[in-house]
Amino acid sequence: MSAEAARTWRRRPRARRPRRLGLRARVTAAFALGALSLSAVLSVLTYGLVRSFLVEQREQGAVTQTFLNARVVRDGLASRSPQPDPDRILSSLETPSGTGAVVRYRGVWYANSVAVGSESLPQRLRVLVDEGTPGRQRFTLSGEPWLAVGVPIPHVHGVYFEAVSLDGVDGILDVLGFSLAGAAMLTTVAGAAMGRWAAARVLSPLTSVSEAAAGIASGNLGIRLEAPEDPDLRLLASSFNRMVDALKERIERDARFASDVSHELRSPLTTLSTALEVLVARRDELPQRSRAALDLLAADVGRFQRMVEDLLEISRVDAGVAELHLEPVDLVELVRHAVSAAGAGVVVINDGHRVPAQVDKRRMERVIANLVHNALAYGGGVARVAVEQSRGVVRVVIDDEGAGVPPEERERIFERFYRGSVSGQRGHSDGSGLGLALVAEHVGLHGGRVWVESAEPRGARFIVELPGER
Amino acid sequence: MAGVTSRILTVEDDERIRTAMKLALEDEGYTVIEAASGETALEAFAHKGADVVLIDVMLPGIDGFEVCRSIRRRSDVPIVMVTARADTHDVVAGLEAGADDYVTKPFVAKELAARIRALLRRARADQTPSVMTFDGLELSPESGVVKRDGSEVHLTKTEFRLLCELAANAGKVLSREQLLDRVWGYDYFGDGRLVDVHVRRLRSKVEDDPSDPRLVVTVRGLGYKLQS
Repeated sequence: MSAEAARTWRRRPRARRPRRLGLRARVTAAFALGALSLSAVLSVLTYGLVRSFLVEQREQGAVTQTFLNARVVRDGLASRSPQPDPDRILSSLETPSGTGAVVRYRGVWYANSVAVGSESLPQRLRVLVDEGTPGRQRFTLSGEPWLAVGVPIPHVHGVYFEAVSLDGVDGILDVLGFSLAGAAMLTTVAGAAMGRWAAARVLSPLTSVSEAAAGIASGNLGIRLEAPEDPDLRLLASSFNRMVDALKERIERDARFASDVSHELRSPLTTLSTALEVLVARRDELPQRSRAALDLLAADVGRFQRMVEDLLEISRVDAGVAELHLEPVDLVELVRHAVSAAGAGVVVINDGHRVPAQVDKRRMERVIANLVHNALAYGGGVARVAVEQSRGVVRVVIDDEGAGVPPEERERIFERFYRGSVSGQRGHSDGSGLGLALVAEHVGLHGGRVWVESAEPRGARFIVELPGER
Repeated sequence: MAGVTSRILTVEDDERIRTAMKLALEDEGYTVIEAASGETALEAFAHKGADVVLIDVMLPGIDGFEVCRSIRRRSDVPIVMVTARADTHDVVAGLEAGADDYVTKPFVAKELAARIRALLRRARADQTPSVMTFDGLELSPESGVVKRDGSEVHLTKTEFRLLCELAANAGKVLSREQLLDRVWGYDYFGDGRLVDVHVRRLRSKVEDDPSDPRLVVTVRGLGYKLQS
């Protein structure tokens, strides 16, 4: 669409948005409409053909019969002896029911049925026959369709008419009409049903594609479409699979990059930290300025190391290669060890019962350590640690003694490299910026969740909730 | 440590890391023999010997696991693998190749020294009887000799200490944490795979059918025990 056309299109006010029917509905409607039109056309054609055939047949029969009877009447009227009796001749005629015969002999009209009289006959036909031409004409008698056939009998100066009721034909046609209409309706319904089925069949490969795409979007890059037997669909499946392969390769390459970089950094880091250890052991031998420089070096090499470790850890989670090694543990015991290893001398509170849980020990240790460090660095210290269980979940609650986390930051602090208002105030930071993000990732791997609330009377309360033992 | 200072053979191809390690370990009181590749390491071990061997997993030429296996074939010297990451197959591969423990890069030299000290420790002989017998297995903690059906079995120091620990508590279940503490000196968060792989190695040496253990049995969810 050209830019101008696009602008015009946009400017036009849309009175109401047309409701778009789904593909399935459109296909079903198309099939139904097609079936309806086809069956309607066929029905009309059939009806027309049968009608004209029946009518034609009836008319032909009537004409033939009239001519035959006219001959009989002529022969009857022409005979000299005995005296011709038109009434008797008429009544001797073989006319099926619904037929009326009328004859005019020497100016007098004779009829053999009550229904049909000379006045019933159509005017135009009478004039025609009077002039000596046989003919036929349809007319209406008491609301019913009739056919009149007229034959002049010049021999005896008479005219002979027969009127045939077409009602029976119409009766047949009515039945035919209803049957055809019924058949058309059935065909339409069948068409709609077929349309629905066809739409479902056509859409089912699309359903499987969308299911595969959803699975891939949620992280399972191993999903591929099976090669369908249908040659038309084979192209779709193969290009879809190629796309997923390319995507997977790209993601793995990216993940490997972050991982490879961190890995490569370990070698110089090893030299740095080991040599630093040697220097630190000889700190007392150094002049004061050197000592100050050494302290700075030691602190930031330590920080650098933690950053590389955290980066590596989180890149493995991103790459989807993080494996969870679950072990049955007593969560209280684990938390106790983790808290003391992290350097907080707090007693872990719990109601005295074991709290069994299935966890990855190493990851949970990291979770507790990071939360404790967070409390020590930004929360003014750890106020309280508790381990609770209730209703199918287990919880670790860590309260600090700081100013708490403002409500608008409570979700953002778990983002990577987020420097909140509290941590940003510090002159320096020992952390990698990934501590809480890693807590969220590790807890997420366990199928649990972590969040922060306010503690009473002050401070932040971090809660880690994990699914409990069943 | 009384007497001769222990000698550590370090196998590391990165020159700077190697030098830094030498400095740090000498500070801890060890004599360091350096090797820059697997080949030179095996040569050095054959000619000079060592009390502890430190092998980096990533080596050019013969890889660290092969060096470990080679040394293991001839000696029960404690071997520590230096791996890049803890959560890869490197750790299990190293342990199965015969290593006693592992450290990840970058490591703290003091911690490494503590690990080595734990490995060089002798098994506790004070509370146990001089000879213990279990269903064809003869164990003498003081002399360090293990016999199965009369013939001697060669165990590494760590495997031996593991067996002694289980034997001293025969019939009782010892958890992974307890074994990690008593045999390796690790705290609660030690790597359970150390115990698992060593149990596997132990079974392959003392069990009639390692895949159907009768002596060293697993107690699901709890740990291991020696069947009394």
